[in-house]
Formats: sequence, structure tokens, C-alpha cells
Amino acid sequence: MFFHIVLERNMQLHPRYFGRNLRDNLVSKLMKDVEGTCSGRHGFVVAITGIENIGKGLIRDGTGFVTFPVKYQCVVFRPFKGEILEAVVTMVNKMGFFAEAGPVQIFVSNHLIPDDMEFQSGDMPNYTTSDGSVKIQKDSEVRLKIIGTRVDATEIFCIGTIKDDFLGVINDPATA
Amino acid sequence: MSVEPFNRLVKLAARAFYDDITTKGDNQPKTGRSDNRGIAVVVLDALTRRQWVREEDLAKDLKLHSKQLRRTLRFFEEEKLVTRDHRKETAKGAKIYSAAVAATAEGQRTAKEGEEKIKLHTHSYCCLDYAQIYDVVRYRLHRLRKKLKDELENKNTVQEYICPNCGRRYNALDALRLVSPDDEYFHCENCNGELVAESDKLAAQEGGDGDDNARRRRREKLKDMLQKMEVQLKPLMDQLNRVKDLPVPEFGSLQAWEARASAAGRPVNGDSSSNDPFKSSQGLGYGRTPMTFIGETKVEVAFSGVEGKEEDVKSETASSDRKVLPPWMIKQGMNLTKEQRGEVKQESKMDGISSAEFSDDKKSNDDVDNKSLQDEYVKAYYAALLKKQQELEEAAKKQELLHAPNSNGVSESLSNRQVGMKSKREEDEGEDDVEWEEAPTGGSTGESYKVNDLNFEAEASGEEEDDIDWEDG
Repeated sequence: MFFHIVLERNMQLHPRYFGRNLRDNLVSKLMKDVEGTCSGRHGFVVAITGIENIGKGLIRDGTGFVTFPVKYQCVVFRPFKGEILEAVVTMVNKMGFFAEAGPVQIFVSNHLIPDDMEFQSGDMPNYTTSDGSVKIQKDSEVRLKIIGTRVDATEIFCIGTIKDDFLGVINDPATA
Repeated sequence: MSVEPFNRLVKLAARAFYDDITTKGDNQPKTGRSDNRGIAVVVLDALTRRQWVREEDLAKDLKLHSKQLRRTLRFFEEEKLVTRDHRKETAKGAKIYSAAVAATAEGQRTAKEGEEKIKLHTHSYCCLDYAQIYDVVRYRLHRLRKKLKDELENKNTVQEYICPNCGRRYNALDALRLVSPDDEYFHCENCNGELVAESDKLAAQEGGDGDDNARRRRREKLKDMLQKMEVQLKPLMDQLNRVKDLPVPEFGSLQAWEARASAAGRPVNGDSSSNDPFKSSQGLGYGRTPMTFIGETKVEVAFSGVEGKEEDVKSETASSDRKVLPPWMIKQGMNLTKEQRGEVKQESKMDGISSAEFSDDKKSNDDVDNKSLQDEYVKAYYAALLKKQQELEEAAKKQELLHAPNSNGVSESLSNRQVGMKSKREEDEGEDDVEWEEAPTGGSTGESYKVNDLNFEAEASGEEEDDIDWEDG
């Protein structure tokens, strides 16, 4: 799920950036530092949408770096248990398949794949129904439900299922 | 629209799902006395025999405390089995409902006449919602089955993996770390052994922990439960299938039902009770109907004899200038009309006059000795004749007033009247029954006319009060 929230961060800026576009430098550094990171608390920071305010800088003794407390608005993405996501399959193996929904990795074990789909090994390992009408392979798009998340301080990992109504392949690259 | 299969469905569902529902809070001790399990079934069964029903009536029928019933019904409302309707209404509004009930001709309820209170009471009505019940029961079964199956198939559970070599356990959340680039299996971080999924291992009966046994037992239990459910709920499911293609009995909202029921009941019912449904069918506005004239007039008639006095005295005094002609007739349009009508009127009046004259004569006689004789009369006789006498008196008075218009207004006429009363009584007793008998009959045309008219006037005045009542209603 996406959220638009305000976060705060202490930015350390090298003295060489001091000048009339100090502010711009600060913001671009913030973006470089923050976007794409993941915090267990807020989820993945997808994008910074604005700066709320920049506090007074504090010169660090010894280094000459200046610390600015920056408040910024950003879009974060955090997966939740029970959430339905659309994801792209990245890897298929005997144990199930991995998929990605943006920055989030999701594993779907073979127990959570419908019983009528069987694993086919080979050049392009995939899960296929007996009549071959539905195939899950690398780059397939699937809709899945998150049934478990592991949230660490810096990473989030999910397991999902496609064994439910309206879940499964939504767009097959082979047929498309 | 056969309700029977649906009723059977309700009964089955009640017994299957609401058998041991107690409406008491969990914190209260369930002593034998306060244990009200089974009430739910009783209430549902009772509702299958009714359509819309007022909750107080239902409580009365079931010999339940209304609070208890309401609690049960609220529960069912939450369960979506029952639709309820609350509205503020007077006793009259309640009567409309009663009429509607009577019109359904179930014969199990008697339309009770609520006491005529002007106060508004909130009445609650309830009714089974068959369409919704069908859906609710189906959904419930679906959920039951799905839940058991999910449990059974370990659906939505985090898959566990175990290393057969070192016994280390992993779960699916570790998958990212376990996947190996070379083959399509997960490998143990420790010994690089191939991991097996927990359920497979269970099938292989490896390392029989107590934990595993427990899990297997649980599986067995679940399977058993699922089977039992299928067997025990079979009748319910059969009934659901049977009902599937039948049109669902629909009672509609309370108002709609009432209107329909009473409309349907009208032709069926006899003339005696037809009055009420008629009223109700017309008056969905609850008590604001002008139709009630019929009923009301009767009441007015009853005390017209008493009330009429003041009224006619006034009217008399007002119109006394006009002389001779009966004022109540002439007031409106008659004034300007020709003699003919006046004559006709007078003819009809003549009777009244004649009777009045009799009474006049009597009066003159009686004035002398009435007081002494008065005491002798039997009280019972008084009671019986009082009204007629009064009517007669009024007639007489009128005549008197007409004859002697200058006699001063109210006080005089009152005194006259009393005198007249006495005299008449005396007369009845003593002298001639015939005259007495005749007087009312002879004067009946004119007099009844009068009386009616008076009523009319009285009504007008009395109705104002009544109108107020109605407004409140």
C-alpha cells in the first residue's frame, strides 16, 4: 500500500557544496540518499515529492561537515498481509516462484499454487495447467495475495499465494 | 409464492446454527434459570408463522418478556435474518396495523383496540427476510466449508522447510536466502543439503516429533469435522437446493405490507370489520384521515341530548328575532327563499309545534304542584326516560322561546327548562301515557330533525376538539 508521509532526516553536507545553491545541492543529495531505500517502519521510499522545511545547519567539529535537519514529503510503499498485489515473475523453480512488485520481492511456494498447475522443468521452467491454457513462467504477470511478510530494519520480504479466487496469471508474455 | 419451503429452510437453519445461541452476555453466569438457549429457535419458528408482527404482540404470544425478545430480535437483525421497522405512532396507528393483521385472516390474532392515547409510542415490527435468509445461510455454509478446507490444505500458511541432514528449519520467508543458482531446490545455509518441504517430510514420517503428531491429529480432526458437517447439514443444503428456483416470498416494507394486506382483506372480510381495513387502506397517513366521521358521529349522538341544550339555546336566542320558523333550518340559504319552502318546513314543523304545545299546557298545569309530586318518582324511571324528556323539553323550550321571544336569554330558559322537566315527569306518571307516547312519535319528524340538526351544530363545535385529537394522531 502506498502512503504519502512526511519524514525527517539529518543530512550531512560537505563544505564544498556551500554556496548559493546550497539548498539545491542538499535536496539532490537527499533524493540520492533516500529514494529506493527501505525502512522496516515505513516501507520503501518511492519518491520525494517536496521539502517541508530545512532547519538550521550545525557545523560538525573537526570535519567541517554541516548537518541540516530536513523534513520532506515522500511516497512510501509498504506491503501488508492480506493485500492483493500485481507482480512480475522473476524466477520459477521447483519450490515455487519469485515475483517482484516494484521493490518488493515475493515468494509463492508450490503449495500456494493451485493444485491443477504442475511444475515443468526445462529451459524455461514454468507452472502449467494440465490443458496448458495457463502458464506461469519468467516475466509473467500475476496477481497474488500476500499472506506473510518479514520486515527487517532494512528489508521487507513477502510470501504470497495465488490459490484463491481471481488470483493467478493476468498477463502472459508468451501469448501477448 | 409458497412460503412453506422457505419456512422449512428457516427452521432448519435455526436448529443448525442458532440452537445454542444465548442472548445473555458472556460475563453473566449461566444458571439453569437464566439459560435461555433455544429461545432463538422458538422466536424464528414463531416468525415463520407470521408476516409482519408487532414485537409486543409477539412477546405476548410467546410469553416472553419483551426485552428478552427484543434482544433476540436485535441479534437476528445483525444476523440479517430479520428486518425490523420502528415507528412512532398513536394507538390509532397501531390499530391500522391490527386491521392489517386481521385482514390477513390468519385467525391467530385478534385485532386489539388500543386505548385511545394521544401519546406517541415507538412500536417495533419485525418480519423474516426470506431472500436474505437464503443468501445468509448459503454464505454461512460456504464460509464454513472454505474455512475447514483451508485449514485442511494448509492454505494461507507459511510453508516450512527442513534440512534432512542437520534438521535445521526454515520457512518460506527465508526463501530468498535459500535459493541456489545451480538448481531449482532450496539449500541449507549450513550444510548445503537439499531442503524438503515440511508436509512432504510429514508424509515421509521423518523425525516423529510430538509436534508432528499433533499436527496430524489436527488434520484428522479437521477432515472428520468436514465430513460431519457435510452429513449433518445435508438436510439444510437439500432444502437450499430445493428453494433455489422458487420465487422468494416478499412482504415488502411494513407500510407496503400493511397497505396490501388490508386491501386484500377488505373484500374478504364481513361488513362488521370492513370498516377498519377501509379506514386503514385509505389512511396511510395514520390517523389523519377524514374518514372517521362515521365513527365519530355515533359518539356525538350519544351525548347530543345533553350537550345540545346550550347549543340550541344559543342558536335560539340568536335567531329568535326571525320568529315562528325553525331557525336551524333557515339560517343558511332559506332566508331568502320563497314561502313554499317555508311552508314545507312549517308542515314538518307543525308536528313539533303540536307536541310542544302539549308540553306547554302541561307545564302551566304542573308549575303548581310539581314540587310535591316530584319526590315520589322512582329514580330508575328517571334514568330511563331522562334523555327523551330532555329532548322533548328542548323542543318545548324552543317553542316557548319562539312564542315569547322577549323572554330573557339563557338564565330564564334554564329555569324554564327545569320546570319543564319536572312537569313532564309528573305528567308521564300521572295522567296520560298516550300523550307522552305520542309526543315523541308525533314530534319525531320535526323533533328528530331538530335533534339531528342540533347534533350537527354540536358536532361542529365538538369536532373542533376532535380535530385537535386527530392532528395529534
